[in-house]
Amino acid sequence: MKHQLSSIGRLAATALLVGVAVVACGRSNGATEAQTAATAPAVQQTQAGQTTPTIAPTPIDEATSAPTQGDTTSSVAPAASSGAAVTPDPLDTQISNLDSLLNGVNGSLSGSDNSGGE
Amino acid sequence: MKTRIPAMLAGLVVGGALLLSSVGVAAAVTPPAGPAGKGVCATEAAAMKTGATVATARAFGDCEINRRFTSLDALAGRITASKVLTSSDAGALQSEVGATKTGLTSLKATIDAETDLTALKADIAKIATDYRVYLLVTPQVNLVSAADGVVAAQARFADVNTKLAARIAADKTAGKDTTAAQTALDAMNAAVANAVGLAGPLPAKLLPLTPAQYNGGTAGPIITSARTALGQARDQIKAAIADAKTCRDDLKALK
Repeated sequence: MKHQLSSIGRLAATALLVGVAVVACGRSNGATEAQTAATAPAVQQTQAGQTTPTIAPTPIDEATSAPTQGDTTSSVAPAASSGAAVTPDPLDTQISNLDSLLNGVNGSLSGSDNSGGE
Repeated sequence: MKTRIPAMLAGLVVGGALLLSSVGVAAAVTPPAGPAGKGVCATEAAAMKTGATVATARAFGDCEINRRFTSLDALAGRITASKVLTSSDAGALQSEVGATKTGLTSLKATIDAETDLTALKADIAKIATDYRVYLLVTPQVNLVSAADGVVAAQARFADVNTKLAARIAADKTAGKDTTAAQTALDAMNAAVANAVGLAGPLPAKLLPLTPAQYNGGTAGPIITSARTALGQARDQIKAAIADAKTCRDDLKALK
């Protein structure tokens, strides 16, 4: 009887410990899920873009909203290789940005050409 | 010791059960991937083909409506985020997307309540024919966005034109031969004007189109023609960019 009571005590203690561990894991998972949920729309959009070109995002929006004047931080601007010795020409940046504008038109055009099974 | 081992095993079993149940809860709250692509409802379509019952037909109809909801939500998000759509075009597109979603919601309720298989099949056919999400609404959003984008690009080219024209004028004053640069700049401006001429009228042609017009065969040619015109507008923009680069390089060569 004493033995049995002792066993039940140990069983309860072990279950409690495992339970605490499970709760801790659950919290950790919760954080991961929250992160996943935060990034989920982007992932879904990408998947949708791959499977359904009809709703592909049109880069034209980004292209035409790109900085137009004097944006020396643009990735398409010629980089100054030695300190402030070379000042990039804003015109070069503007003309380079026109290329992304062209990509935007292409994106919209390709996105418009899909039946989606209709 | 003899009693300790069974006790520990029992503890592990209880703990394992807790762990499994917590995983089960996590799996239950994980949202499913949104249906959007053409093949998303392939399973439901196959089930309906194999054995058409009210349940399989309804599952297929609901799936097809849900993937359209996903597509419409994506379109609505893009319209809202667009920086090139004019406010009136954005409003018209948003209104169309909203009306389409409302109509499909109503159709879904009909499908969910329908108990007759023949009537259900007729309702399912309406998902495509009454709303034309992929053949009409989606091209409308994409093509109007592209057209408004081309028109909005005009301002960008105008800035480039101002800068290039100023440099040409300065070089000309300095006695340099700017003929080639001026020719390239004129070509750029002509190409931009052509592009805007092609794209500008398209929203007014595309926005009024209805599913009924598509089914009647009158909307399809307008969409095809708009796509062709935008392809030409795209080529004109490509040429305009090349001309801008030529002009800039010609001016640099004069330094």
